[in-house]
Amino acid sequence: MKNPLRRADTWQGYLFIMPWLIGFAVLTAGPMLFSLAASFTDYDMTSRMNFIGIVNYTTMFTKDDLFWVSLYNTFFFVIWSVPLTTVGAMILALLLNKGIPGQRVFRTIFYLPAVLSGVGVYLLWMQMLSPSSGLVNTMLGFIGIDGPAWLADPNWTKPALILMKMWSVGGSMLFYLASLQSVPKTLYEVGALEGANWWHRFRYITFPLITPVVFFDLITSTIGAFQIFSEAYVMSEGGNGGPVNSLLFYNLRIWNQAFEVYNMGYAMSMTWFLFVIVLLLTLFNFKFAKKWVYYEGDRR
Amino acid sequence: MKRGVGIGLVVLLIAALGGLVWWMQGGQEQASNTANSDEKVTLDFWSFWGSETRRPIIEQMISDFNESQDEIFVKHTFIPFGDIWTKELAAVASKNQNAIPDVVVGDINAIKLRGQKQQVEPLNNLVDVNALQGVMHPEAWDAVQYENETYAVPFTMDTRLLFYNKKMLEEAGYTEPPQTWADLTEMSEKITVKQGNTFEKVGFYPLFGVGTDVWLINADGRNYITKDGEVTINTPEDREALEWINEFTDKMGRKEIDAFKAEFGEQQANPFLSEKVAMYVDVATFYTQIRDYGDHLDYGVVPLPEREEGSGHYSWSGGFALEIPKGAKHPKEAATFIEYMAGKEAQMYWAEKNFDQVANQEAGRAVADQLEDKEKEVYEVALTAMENTLLTPVPVEVPDLVSLVSPELEQATLGKKTPEQALQAAEQKVKAAKEGAQ
Repeated sequence: MKNPLRRADTWQGYLFIMPWLIGFAVLTAGPMLFSLAASFTDYDMTSRMNFIGIVNYTTMFTKDDLFWVSLYNTFFFVIWSVPLTTVGAMILALLLNKGIPGQRVFRTIFYLPAVLSGVGVYLLWMQMLSPSSGLVNTMLGFIGIDGPAWLADPNWTKPALILMKMWSVGGSMLFYLASLQSVPKTLYEVGALEGANWWHRFRYITFPLITPVVFFDLITSTIGAFQIFSEAYVMSEGGNGGPVNSLLFYNLRIWNQAFEVYNMGYAMSMTWFLFVIVLLLTLFNFKFAKKWVYYEGDRR
Repeated sequence: MKRGVGIGLVVLLIAALGGLVWWMQGGQEQASNTANSDEKVTLDFWSFWGSETRRPIIEQMISDFNESQDEIFVKHTFIPFGDIWTKELAAVASKNQNAIPDVVVGDINAIKLRGQKQQVEPLNNLVDVNALQGVMHPEAWDAVQYENETYAVPFTMDTRLLFYNKKMLEEAGYTEPPQTWADLTEMSEKITVKQGNTFEKVGFYPLFGVGTDVWLINADGRNYITKDGEVTINTPEDREALEWINEFTDKMGRKEIDAFKAEFGEQQANPFLSEKVAMYVDVATFYTQIRDYGDHLDYGVVPLPEREEGSGHYSWSGGFALEIPKGAKHPKEAATFIEYMAGKEAQMYWAEKNFDQVANQEAGRAVADQLEDKEKEVYEVALTAMENTLLTPVPVEVPDLVSLVSPELEQATLGKKTPEQALQAAEQKVKAAKEGAQ
């Protein structure tokens, strides 16, 4: 038996989310399906769109060296930057949750870089990373380290970008701070009575209770790291991913293929391959999450 | 009651969507109505010339054109350099006539490829091809041709020249400017002063101002792929170019050069203007910087020195061309405007005001005759250099050319591969890509 009142409610519910649904269907799902279809064609936006089967995909895996280079660069960046920024944000949040004097000021200062973004920041970092007169190498010089030629030496360009990413951990720090505040004080009091030291308190009280946020941060920053593009587009000479392709990230390769040489069909097949990678990783994360993420009120 | 609200909402939403569609269509009709009611055709002209210097010049040219016309009115739309061509491409791909501009300033080196991709209108039936071919710089004209069809009309060019500081050369005992690579090496060694790990002054370094690619062109007057389709990357001349560059780097020290280069800036901080570098490669418009910020300088200018005596003072130029995007509403009128812009009068105005090289050679010659003193001297040298100047159109059969070659050249100049290894690898990659395309 269906309740007519409830049915009307459901109907109205859909109605209220209609603007979003239409937006999603027309502006997101539609183009995505189109790009999936076009990835099996030689589409170049203006002159042709012929079905060519899986040629784009076989070219990608067997003939295009730069595809592998860009995939390697992107994985390198993800593998280093995701753990570093996650742990960095967590440590920062723990330190700023200590109740030291002036912590509001510090919180603001550490959060500020997260507000700044885009090309201006990259240009600023290009100056800071300048080999001889840049701030980074000047500071390293104080402690007797002869800093590398960051953006000019292919071995140091990716580490330079990872270092730059560390600068804006303030955004996720805020999430950690919020969740740290919600850890019940009583648990720490019990811990103190039982003689738990700081590591015990972190390992058995704090960390389990903030795991949902850690999980959220991990998923979003992994996806975000795979999307790296504008940093390399701005910071490599001519936007080509140099020197020696060391900054040729996956999305930069996609961009160059799509808008420099108009291989749009090929660019779309690259996009779908990246989508599959990110999807699999995210599914794996969700599956694995059951082992370590703890939701209060959940039964195990 | 609740159901009433629900139905009301549905009606509202449908009405809103309907209204939106109606407004979009109506808006378009209205726009085209106003254009017709004047009995003048309005052309939408997109350029990225929005700076304080360039905008008044281009807008003066447009208003001169508009005044001379009864039937056409050109409206200038400034679009930033980073957006203009993607925006144009999106408009062309949409096939929506109201979104497509009528004339756009395009990258001259991309025209062949974009002609093949049908992003731009063929012009053979719209412009006087023979007349244009007669006056245009041959390299620029070639860059806009694809399979016997013209896809744009060249507008500006910018060849590379060597500026030299007379005083610094004289102090080292030279009264004549360098003519060959050997001269550059020898003179630079004499002029360069290094204190510990820092340079006080540098005579010359090949990669200040230009890239390796320019010296590869300078070495033998050939592009990576010749017009006949021959791949000429791994040649003795190109190897010599890389070796010559590496010789400078090895002798001077890569770290020290990087450190020196990091201090470079614009205007007064330009190393040539601050007399930190004695010989410096730049485009002819660099003259205006010297005029405005380096009045004290006693300098001269020559075409790029040659690899060895008689090998040729080859140089490289980029440039821009005027094109009609595919599907534009008024191609005929657009072509009239383009012919005016490529004509002697307009080209002279642009050349004189910007100190740019223009594609119309008659205009360039006439401007040089009008100029005086230093201006004339620099412009004349630029005109001479233009005779041996190559453009680098994106080859249609290997559009990815630069992505294949540049990383290899970088390996060579960073000392990670020998010039021979790098050029061999680059040539192999380009040949493979070329065969794959056929």
